[in-house]
Amino acid sequence: MSDISALIVDDSSVMRKIVERALRQAGLSLSEVFEAANGVEALEVLRRKRVDLILSDINMPNMDGFELLHQLREQNLAPNVPVVLITTESSEDHVRNAIAAGAQGYIRKPFTAEQVKDRVLPLLGAIEVERRE
Amino acid sequence: MASASRDIDRVSAYSQSLDEAVEEVFSLMMGLHCIPVSECPIEERETISAVIGLAGAMSGTCVLRSGEQVALCMAENLIGIEMPGLSDTVKDAVGEICNMVTGAWKSKQLPLASGCMLSTPTVVTGTHYHLHTQKPEFRIERYYRFDARSFGVALVCESMQ
Repeated sequence: MSDISALIVDDSSVMRKIVERALRQAGLSLSEVFEAANGVEALEVLRRKRVDLILSDINMPNMDGFELLHQLREQNLAPNVPVVLITTESSEDHVRNAIAAGAQGYIRKPFTAEQVKDRVLPLLGAIEVERRE
Repeated sequence: MASASRDIDRVSAYSQSLDEAVEEVFSLMMGLHCIPVSECPIEERETISAVIGLAGAMSGTCVLRSGEQVALCMAENLIGIEMPGLSDTVKDAVGEICNMVTGAWKSKQLPLASGCMLSTPTVVTGTHYHLHTQKPEFRIERYYRFDARSFGVALVCESMQ
């Protein structure tokens, strides 16, 4: 798999580092990792940078993960980039809402690198196909 | 009588779920074996408390409290790097641990899983302080130990719908 760039969105800088470490432990080769503390900062990054993958918390101040998904669609930003929500909220309702809002994956905290790998790698396989086309 | 017995059963089930949630977070995120213990001698002068608010089907708080050195150890194991002191990074880490414990506990209570929202963490540090709440409907206080270090988690329910 070729190098990918990722945007990690979480109001906790510790959690952003942990997610990055989990991506590397999952065997991903990351060319660049961008960080944002909330949805507003994430949108700013996406206006300037191209990324292959977005991992976002849901519960954040200023703009939460659901509103970020809404704004991505509204502003047609990163239209083909998979978004995976990583959150402590894990009810069926939350998962359904996340998928309905446009998330391609959902990871519940606490998580293992193996779980990150299982959720993220299939999505990146689709990116590889797109790049080849 | 039957109602009191149901309440005791419910609180007992919540306690057990809290133990499972703590163990899950410590094993998955830190690779640590964390067990419930009967008491928690917090001997350090400076303590740190991370607070997560619950709102909706249940209103209340979940508080994780430890001494400074225990907090440093938790943060180091979570992040994987040595911490020089009680920095913002350590406070952030302890807040996230409390957030994950609360979320994991909530996910084990079916009526609460989708009907109860969590706040972002608030972290308090200092000496000789108390966190006050209104008269709670129930309060669960549990103590845990990992690597010969102890900390406490209190789940305070102010009201349940």
